[in-house]
Amino acid sequence: MEAGLFLIAVGLLAAGFIIPLVLSGRDMRIVRILALSCTILASLFLGLVSAFILFGGDALAFTAYQPFYGFSLSFVIDRLAAFFLLIIAAVSACVSLYATEYGEHLGGESRRNLFAGCINLFILAMVLVVSSANTLSFFFFWELMAASSFILVMYEYDRPETRKAGIFYFIMTQLSTLFVLFGILALSAQTGSFAFSAAGSVATPLLVVAFLSLFVGFSIKGGIIPFHKWLPYAHPASPTPVSALMSGVMLKIAVYGLVRFLLDVFSPDLWWGILILLCGSLSAVLGVIYALKEHDIKGMLAYSSIENIGIIFMGIGLFVIFSVTGLPLLATMSLLGALFHSLNHALFKSLLFLSAGSVVHATHTRDIEQMGGLARRMPWTSALFFTGAVAIAALPPLNGFASEILIYIAIFSSITVVAPLLKVLLLVCLALFALTSALSAACFVKAFGSVFLALPRSAESAGAEEVPPAMLIGPGILALACIFLGLCAYQLFLLAGFSVPLPDMLFVGLLLLLMTVLIGIFLYFFASRAERTCETWGCGTPFQQASAEYTGHGFSEPLDIIFSSIYRTRIRNERVFFDQKNCIFREGTAEIRLMKVFEEYLYLPLARFAVRTATRISRFQNGCLDTYLLYVFITVIAVLLFLGWF
Amino acid sequence: MTYDFILYLAINTAIVLVTAPLFVSLIKKVKAWTQGRQGPSVFQTYYTIAKLLKKEVIYAPTSSRIMRVTPLVNMAAVLVAALFVPLVFVPEPAFGIGNIILFLYLLALARFFMALAGLDAGSSFGGMGSSREMSLSAIIEPTTIIVFAALAFVFKTLNIFDMFAHSVASGAITTPILILIGISLFIILIVETSRIPVDNPETHLELTMIHEGMILEQSGRNLALMELSAAVKLTLLMALLVNLILPFGLITTLTLTGLLIAAVLFIVKGVVLAGVIGLFESSMAKMRFFQLPSLFAMAFFFSTLIIIIEVFA
Repeated sequence: MEAGLFLIAVGLLAAGFIIPLVLSGRDMRIVRILALSCTILASLFLGLVSAFILFGGDALAFTAYQPFYGFSLSFVIDRLAAFFLLIIAAVSACVSLYATEYGEHLGGESRRNLFAGCINLFILAMVLVVSSANTLSFFFFWELMAASSFILVMYEYDRPETRKAGIFYFIMTQLSTLFVLFGILALSAQTGSFAFSAAGSVATPLLVVAFLSLFVGFSIKGGIIPFHKWLPYAHPASPTPVSALMSGVMLKIAVYGLVRFLLDVFSPDLWWGILILLCGSLSAVLGVIYALKEHDIKGMLAYSSIENIGIIFMGIGLFVIFSVTGLPLLATMSLLGALFHSLNHALFKSLLFLSAGSVVHATHTRDIEQMGGLARRMPWTSALFFTGAVAIAALPPLNGFASEILIYIAIFSSITVVAPLLKVLLLVCLALFALTSALSAACFVKAFGSVFLALPRSAESAGAEEVPPAMLIGPGILALACIFLGLCAYQLFLLAGFSVPLPDMLFVGLLLLLMTVLIGIFLYFFASRAERTCETWGCGTPFQQASAEYTGHGFSEPLDIIFSSIYRTRIRNERVFFDQKNCIFREGTAEIRLMKVFEEYLYLPLARFAVRTATRISRFQNGCLDTYLLYVFITVIAVLLFLGWF
Repeated sequence: MTYDFILYLAINTAIVLVTAPLFVSLIKKVKAWTQGRQGPSVFQTYYTIAKLLKKEVIYAPTSSRIMRVTPLVNMAAVLVAALFVPLVFVPEPAFGIGNIILFLYLLALARFFMALAGLDAGSSFGGMGSSREMSLSAIIEPTTIIVFAALAFVFKTLNIFDMFAHSVASGAITTPILILIGISLFIILIVETSRIPVDNPETHLELTMIHEGMILEQSGRNLALMELSAAVKLTLLMALLVNLILPFGLITTLTLTGLLIAAVLFIVKGVVLAGVIGLFESSMAKMRFFQLPSLFAMAFFFSTLIIIIEVFA
């Protein structure tokens, strides 16, 4: 039955892609609604399938299409795949619900049909990547996912920033595909097959190369620093549902790939785990430090995705380290932490992207310095964004905390058992992890404070209105899921058959509620109930002004200065004076320049190198027939010599 | 959930609420004495809270729901965190209450709301306070977690209840490692409760204030809750320190006489520590804001050193 449900879901997604494509000439809302309801329905079926398999069902395996011997399109949905199917289904359903309304406000008339269709194609590709039974079909759908997401990113192609972002994204995602392909080919050279099967317990050089190239491929897709640069370009440029899908789900597909290959194919060495852990820690810390500096709301969320993928990679790295050093219990806990954080991040990040999209829709700007005061103007959206912010700042009793505490507990408990040098490494990572999570709290206080609190800082923000209900229901479901997963994490793990030393958050949540109620009762009986509304004292100014408020820049200034060596901000200050004692100021210039470290030291040199090499090679192709004849002649001679020699 | 555990929840909350304002006033008193002043009465904080409860609340016209719920959430989070640190009676842990990481994050929850409320009224003082508070709390976090990891390492448990029980069982034998951890915990206490040299709880000057800046726009019963929750937080961190290092008096089985003795002993220990904090604060000046990271870095390396000593010992 599950196989049937799965096929129906795939069929629905395909229909949702084809219908608007066929009717692409007609700008009718009903077409888009039809396409998106296909997505929602398919997501429901997929959710059912994955729930069956997750909570006790058997793995599902079947072959759908076999064009020739040795290659088949076959699917296996085991618990790991089912878990990621659940992520895809949950986010896709809510995002599609949101897109039914949001899509209508996009420009481009009948192009919007293609938009709805491509969303279906994108989701279909992700579903099939996750359920692929062999590496070749994994690769095929991986590329389909990359291509369909590129089309979606380029939706507003008439804007120059979108074109730049699109090209950046295209190159990065193709690099990722290239590395994944190389890794898969190296693997098949070692094992002689394209199956997800163990490739031997001895790490031969070929296997190490395969792992490294797969790791780089997945890191690029997942946005691990230093391969992260495409995220802060592609996310702000693409329409909100696409950002939510890419950040919420597509990054998790990279996580899935890594986990799948580590579990089924490789038998890792210790240094693989250390590599993954270090890359994860670095991404987590740098990601959040850059997020603090970002004032484009979607760019900020993109950097925060880099941070969270870093945390997930930390969990995977710990899993490898612990399973190699013979600590299966801690290894399971770290892996569960990483996977649970994948789910949680998918939920709260898509929630944040969707509600940020609503804010951008209402204020027509992405700059948080132009917003403010929206909590009173958009009460529902602000409540949704707030839930997401609390969840992503890893505060109890929401879900971000439940997964981060698993990783904390794994590190804390491991410190007593692992080898001394490993202990030092784990302690460093622990400190970085703590720093990350505290900084992300600071980052979201800043974001929520600048966007929603105090006075509006622009006319658009002052005139903002609440978005229509369809743009609230989708994120609303995600917010409820965040709360539910946070409160019932312990019970859910028990239900899925894992006993983890999590605190019972349901009890803590009840205690919080109980205390709040008790305080409320106490205040009701023993405190004055008088209230008055009165202007905030503004140091003597006649009325409160938005310009006197603390800005987002101002808020992050202390951290900017503390981490200035990481930002590498250059402040140039030149002054000319009238007198020789430098007292009377005549004129001067000042400039604050934010260095894009990775772009200037890594990406651009690489790009320049590629261009130089290409220029050199292109000299061979000069368009002159004589030269080409010469090439043919030389080739023939070379082949003859070669054949004669051997 | 056992009968003992329910009793524990009630007893611990009651004791922390009753004693918290006392310690705050005591620190003020000690500081006043060192300055040659008589200072306010040791019961002044109780009077202040009672007075504030009777006053009206004033909201800014721009403020949102955040301003209204923050005092409640803040107080509730701190009170739940208070259940994680047994003051006088250590029951068997249940439901993961006492988890040291959850304890830390409940305090973070309170701080998150407080910082948002600081931004809500739209005054620049509030923003200044929030910004500084979040920055400081972020850069002290690695130190805090390393100290807590050191605790978990020494006691081989993640639960504060088990740590205390272990400490009680092993008697008042204070190991050198524990003293070193105690020093680190003291630094964390100073930072988390916004005291000199990190922040000055007495001033309302925009150049110096952090915590006071955030709650500047609070008034009436809301301010009373904020003041009380700050006092409870101080008491919690003090209790964590004294009950780990000087565990005598803590009881693990519930008897009435034992409870009374334990409560008296806890107050005595608390009074001594309050005196130490007062003297410590009086003995130094507030540091410049951007010199604080180096202070924290010192605390960080200090606590890492403890673990490394312990690891290779």
